[in-house]
Amino acid sequence: MTGRAPVLSVRGLSVRFLMPGGRRVAAVTDAHFDVRAGECLALIGESGCGKSVLASALLGLLPGNAQTAGRALLGDLDLLAADERTLARTVRGRLIGLVPQSPAAHLTPVRTIRAHLEETVAQLTGARRTRGALRPAAEAAAERAAFPVDHLDHHPHQLSGGLAQRAATALALVGDAPLLLADEPTTGLDRDLVDRTVDELRRHVHQPEGGGARSGGGRARALLMITHDLAAAERIADRIAVMYAARIVELADAAAFFGAPGPRHPYSRGLLDALPDRAFAPVPGLPPELGALPDGCAFAARCDRATDACAVLPPLRAHVACHHPHAALTEAADRA
Amino acid sequence: MADLAAGRTGTVWRSRGGEGRSTRTLRLRTSAVLLTATVLAVLLVPPLVRLDQQAVDLAAKLEAPGWDHPFGTDDVGRDLLLRCVYGLRVSLLVGVAAALTATVVGTAVGATAGALGGWVDRGVMRVVDALSSVPHLLMGVFIVAMFRPGVWPVVASVALTHWLSTARIVRAEVLSLRARPHIDAAVSGGASRWRVTVRHLLPGVLPQAATAAVLMVPHAMWHESALSFLGLGLPTHTASLGNLIQEARGSLLAGQWWPTLFPGLFIIVPTLAVAGLAGAWRERINPRRRSELML
Amino acid sequence: MLDLRSVTAGYDKRAPVFRDVSLSVAPGEAVGLLGPSGCGKSTLARVAALLHRPDAGTLHLDGTPVRHWRHRAPREQRTAFGVVFQQARLSADPRLRLADLIAEPLRATGRREGAAGRVAELAATVGLTADLLTRRPHEVSDGQLQRACLARALVLRPRWLVCDEMTAMLDASTTAALVRVVEDYRAATGAGLLAVGHDRVLLDRWCERTVDWAALTAPTTPAPTCPPGTNKVRRGN
Repeated sequence: MTGRAPVLSVRGLSVRFLMPGGRRVAAVTDAHFDVRAGECLALIGESGCGKSVLASALLGLLPGNAQTAGRALLGDLDLLAADERTLARTVRGRLIGLVPQSPAAHLTPVRTIRAHLEETVAQLTGARRTRGALRPAAEAAAERAAFPVDHLDHHPHQLSGGLAQRAATALALVGDAPLLLADEPTTGLDRDLVDRTVDELRRHVHQPEGGGARSGGGRARALLMITHDLAAAERIADRIAVMYAARIVELADAAAFFGAPGPRHPYSRGLLDALPDRAFAPVPGLPPELGALPDGCAFAARCDRATDACAVLPPLRAHVACHHPHAALTEAADRA
Repeated sequence: MADLAAGRTGTVWRSRGGEGRSTRTLRLRTSAVLLTATVLAVLLVPPLVRLDQQAVDLAAKLEAPGWDHPFGTDDVGRDLLLRCVYGLRVSLLVGVAAALTATVVGTAVGATAGALGGWVDRGVMRVVDALSSVPHLLMGVFIVAMFRPGVWPVVASVALTHWLSTARIVRAEVLSLRARPHIDAAVSGGASRWRVTVRHLLPGVLPQAATAAVLMVPHAMWHESALSFLGLGLPTHTASLGNLIQEARGSLLAGQWWPTLFPGLFIIVPTLAVAGLAGAWRERINPRRRSELML
Repeated sequence: MLDLRSVTAGYDKRAPVFRDVSLSVAPGEAVGLLGPSGCGKSTLARVAALLHRPDAGTLHLDGTPVRHWRHRAPREQRTAFGVVFQQARLSADPRLRLADLIAEPLRATGRREGAAGRVAELAATVGLTADLLTRRPHEVSDGQLQRACLARALVLRPRWLVCDEMTAMLDASTTAALVRVVEDYRAATGAGLLAVGHDRVLLDRWCERTVDWAALTAPTTPAPTCPPGTNKVRRGN
């Protein structure tokens, strides 16, 4: 699309959990996708489909009973093979900025926003730990996320939901990381606040910033947003990845996905049709358990297009993993 | 699913962070082995080893640990290993009985205060605060002083000074549970006050109360030892760990370390084992397997 | 008729969450209450469902004035309401299997006989499988747990449903499924609905009438708490 090299390149990423009794739960299976600079990829899916596990795998935050396979290349670094020391010192904050799910819970309640920012600036930019150097840097970081400087001395509980979200975003931006990872950043926010939050995130992705706290800043970022909120995804995303039962079943251009000709995978269609401003009709049935997935297409049991062919697992071909996808924009893509 | 996820040729699975689990397992196992050994010793040694722990052998007094007496002997030649086992038996009995009593009293008081709220809560908690301001040992000494020396006054003394913390824990837990929507749902579902307390609030606080009870056993043993050491606890001829240490005071100054060290270890080892087990148990009873799956 | 008049409520008498709010829901009517998070609409929903005693104001239930709340309210009044909350995780007793969770109101009101059948019937209605019914809350997803919570709210066949942000944490498909269950139940029984939420698109689609929280409180209090997304500090000290 842009021809730029991807910031994050995920190849065959799989995560499974070893459960007591030798049971294995496949939480993510064989995920392939790229995120480029200046681009937002929204990973959407129902709760429990494995999308948060994918985010945790990228940050190296999986619990002890998890195993991973495949590669997740961030530049030359394979996030899945990196050791904890590398992740802690060079990845989190510096290469990946995390915008958390509930900012109010993410901030330490007894410390002011200024203290949070100054600490993060000192940690990530190596600025000298003197008041004189940290103060302007922290204020610059706050300004970048449109956090009002006169609120810097407030504690997290004194902030409205929108401001807490901005404070968390400011923290995520301090390290000037090339990749922003937003894990359900809009859960529990009301609609106006959702719109505002995603608009701000979008601004950080699309507008290369000149100046900033560090010299030489001003590259575009890549944003991977994990969400179940389709309206938020529509507002922010350039591309959409749909996850169902641990697999990415469709990768699509956001405009084509939400507009014409619409999604190609029957599950994606079902998700969109469930929106209150569309048909408001649920996808019938329940998603399968990740510990007991069928051999064939995991969606077949809920799908009105299912045939005998669906007993075989459909590969992700031409950006959709389905034996009977809806028509694409061009027939050529179907055969690619 | 298995053929694609696991069986794909060349799939290399990596895992990280296994060490936290293994140290936890090691701690759990060590604690379990130590505690089992302690309890077995207390239960089995007296009936199996038909030796008299009171047997005085003045010819062998204050012998250092050796083959005949692994823990040495005391100042009248009694075998210290045997004395320690009998002492632990008494101390454990006192500890368990006191911890159980204190937990039942504390849970009842705390749950009542928390579930009823209002002036009942305020009144009860004032009393708890007032009692807490008196030093435990001082109050324990008063209670013991009212009775003839024996096991049950000591149990009462420990229990009546230790239910306060349990009452606080239980009340706080009930208050936080009471504010949760599942209690609202129960009220809306027609549950009576009694049913809400017994079926929804109490089961929610039992894990905390049980953990507190388990941790209180060694604490109560310490308390018993302290009372006995002061000469206020059990009758001096009873071999309790506190009495043993108290008797050993003189010989410690004379350089004989074993009559103090071994009873001391008999207090410390079960304490650590119980604390280790309680910690592991607390981690297990929290229904949070979910977080491991991260669904 | 569910009729709230000039209700003032909160958790501290000196600083109520809202003052002088009136709202009524006709039998069989579906009313959406739209407002930003943290503004007090959940408190109003709890007052309406007899779960929180207001500091002032009256509540009439089908013409009868309500004088007592929570446990003091007569059981028939309390159980006339089915309540579903935002966070399924917090509104489910973590020790109960889903089947017991759904059956709990039946047991609490002494209607044990036929409970199993009623649970199976409701599980089918909300789309829970028999396998899921044997699990505890931490073994199911948020969406599945919320389905169980909705089943529990319906088990006593309430005349009124109060859904407080029922779908705020759920994906689009589960949202549509749960709303359909509520609407099917209302169509069958003629129950009234008070749906509290912050998503105008959803409430407009779901309810016959959507009331803006700002319009309820506007006459007396200009901007009491937190208008959405303003840079206003909620509590300055």
